[in-house]
Amino acid sequence: MISLRALRTFAPRFAARLGAGIAALALSGSALADTYEVKLPPELASSPKMCDYAPCKDVMPGATHFSERKGQPPFVEAYRDEAGEQKLIGYVMLSTDITDIPAYSGKPVVTLIGMDTAGKFTGVKILKHSEPILLLGIPESALIKFNNQYLGKFVGDNIEIGKSRPEENLIGLDAITGATVTVIAQNQVMMVSGGEVAKQVGILKPVIRPQAKFPPAGPAPSWAQLVEDGSVQRLTVKPEEVGLKSDGRPYMDLWFGYLNQPTIGQAILGKDGYASLMARLKEGEHAIFIVADNSMDSFKGSGFVRGGIYDRVQVRQGGDSFTFRDLDYLNLWGISAAGAPSFTESAIFIIRGKSFSGAFPWKLVFLGNKIDKETAAKTFANFDKEYWLAAKYLEGGRPVVVKPDPTWLKVWKERAVEIGAFIVVLLALSAAYASRDKLVRRSTHKNKWPVNAFKYTGWVLSIGFVGFYAMAQPSITQVLTWFHSLLFQWKWELFLSDPLIFVFWIFIIVTTFVWGRGFFCGWLCPFGSLSELLFKVGQAVGLKRFQFHLPQALHDKLKWVKYAVFFGLLAVSFFSMGLAEKLAEVEPFKTTFLVGITNRSWPYSLFAASLLGLAIFMERPFCKYLCPLGAALAMPTTFRWFGLKRKDECTSCKACAKGCGSLAIDAKGNIDQRECMLCLDCMVFYYDDHACPPLAQERKRRTKAGQPLTPINGKGYFIPIHPAPVDKKKEGAAA
Amino acid sequence: MTIADRNELRQPAYGEAHGVAWLAAELWDHLWPWAGRGQPARKAIQGAGFALAIAATVAWVLAAMGRLEAGAIIGWWFGWSVFEVIVRLDAKPYVKEGPWWGHLYRRATVMDMICYVSFKNLLIGAALFIGLRTLGIVQV
Repeated sequence: MISLRALRTFAPRFAARLGAGIAALALSGSALADTYEVKLPPELASSPKMCDYAPCKDVMPGATHFSERKGQPPFVEAYRDEAGEQKLIGYVMLSTDITDIPAYSGKPVVTLIGMDTAGKFTGVKILKHSEPILLLGIPESALIKFNNQYLGKFVGDNIEIGKSRPEENLIGLDAITGATVTVIAQNQVMMVSGGEVAKQVGILKPVIRPQAKFPPAGPAPSWAQLVEDGSVQRLTVKPEEVGLKSDGRPYMDLWFGYLNQPTIGQAILGKDGYASLMARLKEGEHAIFIVADNSMDSFKGSGFVRGGIYDRVQVRQGGDSFTFRDLDYLNLWGISAAGAPSFTESAIFIIRGKSFSGAFPWKLVFLGNKIDKETAAKTFANFDKEYWLAAKYLEGGRPVVVKPDPTWLKVWKERAVEIGAFIVVLLALSAAYASRDKLVRRSTHKNKWPVNAFKYTGWVLSIGFVGFYAMAQPSITQVLTWFHSLLFQWKWELFLSDPLIFVFWIFIIVTTFVWGRGFFCGWLCPFGSLSELLFKVGQAVGLKRFQFHLPQALHDKLKWVKYAVFFGLLAVSFFSMGLAEKLAEVEPFKTTFLVGITNRSWPYSLFAASLLGLAIFMERPFCKYLCPLGAALAMPTTFRWFGLKRKDECTSCKACAKGCGSLAIDAKGNIDQRECMLCLDCMVFYYDDHACPPLAQERKRRTKAGQPLTPINGKGYFIPIHPAPVDKKKEGAAA
Repeated sequence: MTIADRNELRQPAYGEAHGVAWLAAELWDHLWPWAGRGQPARKAIQGAGFALAIAATVAWVLAAMGRLEAGAIIGWWFGWSVFEVIVRLDAKPYVKEGPWWGHLYRRATVMDMICYVSFKNLLIGAALFIGLRTLGIVQV
């Protein structure tokens, strides 16, 4: 063991160097953030001349000039001069003009996409992203490399993240390790954006759906009945959803329904109105109505001009979109259905696309703009509501519709085996820990294998499977993200996209309240396990004489550093999540498991290697003094339900405190559950009559007195020997 | 027993109650940080605590009326939480030991109280904040 004086000199220097290292890491990270939260010109989102503000030529090689924005959703045409003539060579689109699919950060990755006239991607350029993982952990070049996989691929192909499956015509793309959620979102952005434009320009043909057949009109239902059976739907957009201040009214409050169905159409328009409308419609045309009341804005759009497009509402069915021009509009003067609400704005829109069918589900989409409060920049946001005629309004009932799984569900299905195995491991280790009383009774202070067999299995699995293979190391950044999501916008899909992390966190939350943070930190945290495993290996290979722990007094001061780190990160996250993400590099997890120590720039590698190197000589230095995640979990550990047992003699006996690697047993013999890693060494002592001084004393006394050694009870004492009461009847009979 | 030193144990006035009465007393204890009848507490801390609690309540009312920004109400709640730690350490210096349904309490250290108040107020604050946000009164 190293002398205390040397330790007292070393510890403050160590803390100072760690601080300097963290600061250097935070500063060096900014060099990698080329497009992270970059400020884009506001005209990019609104100007007709989009390519004056975006590097369109980068995604459409050979183009000499570009048209203004056109279509709905908008895109620009790219032209090349050929023999004095301009030849259309492709299309360029801004992803945020078309879709608002968020990535891991909850914000979309703003992407410029080029596609040639044959529907093949010609270029992809990230203009802005807010992905923390790309800020520091994974270089942006990885996302660029990922995007380059699209070049030359056809927009109509079935492209997904993962392995190619030729038998299913599925083209697989290599994901970015550690940024699965980001690339899944990016794939959706690419395919939705490209698909929308490809359909507009005729590259992708619309799906032809069988037309609905309706039963004859029945008695006209009331408005309430129409709402109840889903024939009239409501789409509401709150002001805060588009970044506006509330004035008590919804931003948009729309009622809508399908008019071709005779019973519904006659209920809304009356018999004459319905007949008149049907007479105007050609075969394959459909009509819907929309009314709005007391909304803050108009669904027709104040910027609408005759001959233009109604750019705030559209209908989507499957992958097909239907927009409305002025010729598709009819006035709606009133609603016949009894009990209909009043309205201030109304319209009948005619769907002229031949692929639309009233028998299948469709969505009314409100296309809005969300205003960022800080930058006043507008970003595209859409809101939708599904509509599907009830079976009673369709001859033969509703057709069978197989809806594609949401992305998160696909990920869960693809990784079902991994998830199942992980759950089994977690449950098995929990069962082992729940049986700790039996395990520690079978152990002695010289042979702790009944406990350690399970604990070491947990370590190996957490390092190998959870850490290096599945990259499911929990991190403080997830806590910060959850905290913000809880207060600002909770999206289950976001968290479900990473199933192992999701399962792990549920497990961590439950076990923290039941047993305390020690079960996760001490048995299952990949980095913590790696640290302690290195310490044990160091012990085994003859380095024990160099191993040390800090003096209790110094430890009791330094242990607060991790709480300061946690609260610091939490406070910073309220001002800048990006900065908090950078500072969260105090966790060496990304370097160790996600990117690899040898794959990162030297400050990160040096930091992680130093912590692991130090862990050979000092038990879990990072966990004890720096880990913000440990601090976040330690706080609720104050209320853990089931703690470790103590005896009255523990107040004066320091036997197990001396061997506590976590330095978690105080001078009064109480265990600081916030610091305890639940190694169970003290519990082995508790039942060991050759180690626990009160027990050993009693054992010796009984042996000397020739008394039997009774079993040890749950309170950690030999069961007392009470002389059996004399049976007087037997005594009398014997006499 | 999960505590070695029995001198660390503290029993609140309602500690011996049972059933619904005990649950109600627990709920009251979580919501009311000040000392009850017969419990010692310093008048200055009590008074300042009352004043700050009224201010924090007014802040929530202003937020409910849509006249306080999200950041401001979070700031107020944080400020109150810091003072609640001081108030409780003075008036109710104990925390639960073991499961929530148990009747064992122990002396609270400063860290115990910080953990207790921050966790409790995070839940209360989040519930109120989410409620106001759902009603569209507070916007973020």
